Amino acid sequence: MKRREFLKLSATGAVGASMLTIPPRSWAQGPIKIGMPAALSGSNAQYGIQAKRAAELFAKDVKGKGILGRPVEFVFEDTGGDPATAVRKAQKLVEKDGVKFLTGVALSSEALAVSAKCPEWKVIFMSTINGAGSLTTKSFHRYFFRVNTSGPMGARAVSLYLAEAPMKRFFALGSDYAWGRDSVASFTSQITAVKKEVVGTDFSPVGTKDFASYIAKIRQSKAEGVYLVLAGQDATIYLRQAHQFGLNREVKPIMEILELENMKAVGDPMVGAIGSSRYPFTLDTPKNREFVKRFHELHGMYPDMFDGETYEGLEWLAQVITKVGTDDVEKVIDAWEESTYEGLEGQFLMRKCDHQAVQPGFAVECVKDPKYPHPVPKILATYPGDKVTPKCRTEEFS
Amino acid sequence: MANVLEQLLNALALAGLLFLVSAGLSLVFGILRVVNFAHGVFYMLGAYLGFTAVALSGWFWPALIVVPPVVGTVGALLESSTLRFIYRRPPIYQLLLTFGLALILEESIRVLYGPTAKGVDPPALLQGAVNLGGLLYPRYRLFLVVLSCTVAIAVWLFLSRTRAGLVIRAVAQNSEMADCLGADVARVRTLVFGAACALAGLGGVAAAPMTTAYLGMGISVIVEAFVVVVIGGLGSIVGSMAGSLIVGAAQTWGAFYLPETAMVIVYAVMGAVLVFRPWGLFGEEE
Repeated sequence: MKRREFLKLSATGAVGASMLTIPPRSWAQGPIKIGMPAALSGSNAQYGIQAKRAAELFAKDVKGKGILGRPVEFVFEDTGGDPATAVRKAQKLVEKDGVKFLTGVALSSEALAVSAKCPEWKVIFMSTINGAGSLTTKSFHRYFFRVNTSGPMGARAVSLYLAEAPMKRFFALGSDYAWGRDSVASFTSQITAVKKEVVGTDFSPVGTKDFASYIAKIRQSKAEGVYLVLAGQDATIYLRQAHQFGLNREVKPIMEILELENMKAVGDPMVGAIGSSRYPFTLDTPKNREFVKRFHELHGMYPDMFDGETYEGLEWLAQVITKVGTDDVEKVIDAWEESTYEGLEGQFLMRKCDHQAVQPGFAVECVKDPKYPHPVPKILATYPGDKVTPKCRTEEFS
Repeated sequence: MANVLEQLLNALALAGLLFLVSAGLSLVFGILRVVNFAHGVFYMLGAYLGFTAVALSGWFWPALIVVPPVVGTVGALLESSTLRFIYRRPPIYQLLLTFGLALILEESIRVLYGPTAKGVDPPALLQGAVNLGGLLYPRYRLFLVVLSCTVAIAVWLFLSRTRAGLVIRAVAQNSEMADCLGADVARVRTLVFGAACALAGLGGVAAAPMTTAYLGMGISVIVEAFVVVVIGGLGSIVGSMAGSLIVGAAQTWGAFYLPETAMVIVYAVMGAVLVFRPWGLFGEEE
């Protein structure tokens, strides 16, 4: 090859290559990357998928303008709901993809494992799903933020509602891991504080397919209500079986999380169940109505609790990054502390002392509404953030 | 008294479901010498197809009749297109293959049906609870007990009293000799595999109104089914019956009387059997 030809070729190549790297719109810098080590398969897949759906809507909403003029890029990894896998996938996201923000982690057990690594990696862990109280108490650190309502906060909202209700005797059945045990303990201490009684407690392993033994115990306890800290299919299976045993009429189901997911899978036998909702999509505010409409257009369904809470987290994070003008982790943390945000559910405040977002709590009931193809949550009571958020770094309420 | 009866019925209903799954697992091992990891997924496939059939027709009974043969056909096709070619390889190949099939089927179901559990309503006749001398008990669970007992007796009669059963037992005992005597071993294997899958499919449809159809039901049931066949003895139908009863009773009574140790009891029984009778209660010493 002659020297001239070589130069010509390399020049063409260089021009071509530079054209390839010019982004479709001229973005200011590289993308802001958000890593989602979410459970997208396995028995808790619905939670990871909710986080993913929220991310997809958020990506669509900021398309074109990005954050700080930079595009937003989500990197998804499937953890299968396993803490060890979640840590491995999160490490890959941080070290290989260079993400500075991790979110969408589905289970509290995964969150505890991944969050523990974040101070070392110097990345922000934004919880939008995880309920375990310990994340903002004994396992708290500077890099952890919880945008969602925690388990103890859910238990608090229900307890405040039950304090006014005529029921006096309760049975508590929790999923046998961090979230279930935390929430049952929180419920027990709050309900006994208002001079009502928890007459029995039990914990069922995650993935229990036959609740008959628990149903027999609940019936024998002569409780008027059963407090259920069960998620996803565990709750679905429990509610269906309790209905077949005729238990739902005798003992009112009270759920720490009253999910749309369950309402779709259980259907009419669930009508009448009460509980707390981290985010009830039937909330009648202009911002939320708009969100529900956009969500329905994109996904063809109504948003469940973590669709809403994950969207709120992403929007808030974007707001903070925009305010500080950089995605530098330390600066974002400083700016996020004590900042406020107008979410779908109302006003949010990020407390500096434990990075728990103070937000309203909801007591809801599962009802039939001819406007919707499945039962939906109806808001019974809304409690202000300062009533449902525990004292700093504790699971106690004032 | 009502309480004891309730616990007994609960154990029987669970044991019935376990039997429908473990019987096939045990049969397949007896005839094909394959530990079929995909067996639980056929149970799950049965539940999901049951959901579809009920959703399409609005009836439960046709689903109960149509789904098992469909699942059986899927199983037979998979056996004749994959497993058949590796019987002579070391057992690890078959284990890996069935494990792979399990993952493929499970993920396919997830893609098709989505992550949400699918509820199936019991037929109108079996909805609600019936009063048994002061005990409110779901009609559907009573039906499960009757169904699984009927199937158990039918399978046992088929294997021990019919000519086809004789051939199957012959292949199980010595497949080369059976081949020499004119039995079509390849065909027997495919049919037995299909029948085992059909039984699991029946278990799945029957389980759906009780447990709903959900992702992961195949994996959780296969672990229990393995425990059942280890206790009862691989390859023995009577062993599967006994094993199902033991595991069903240990799980329901454990969860009721000794909640903290419920999980341990089942595995402790299995451990004891492995120590004192490694071939299982009704298995044959090799």
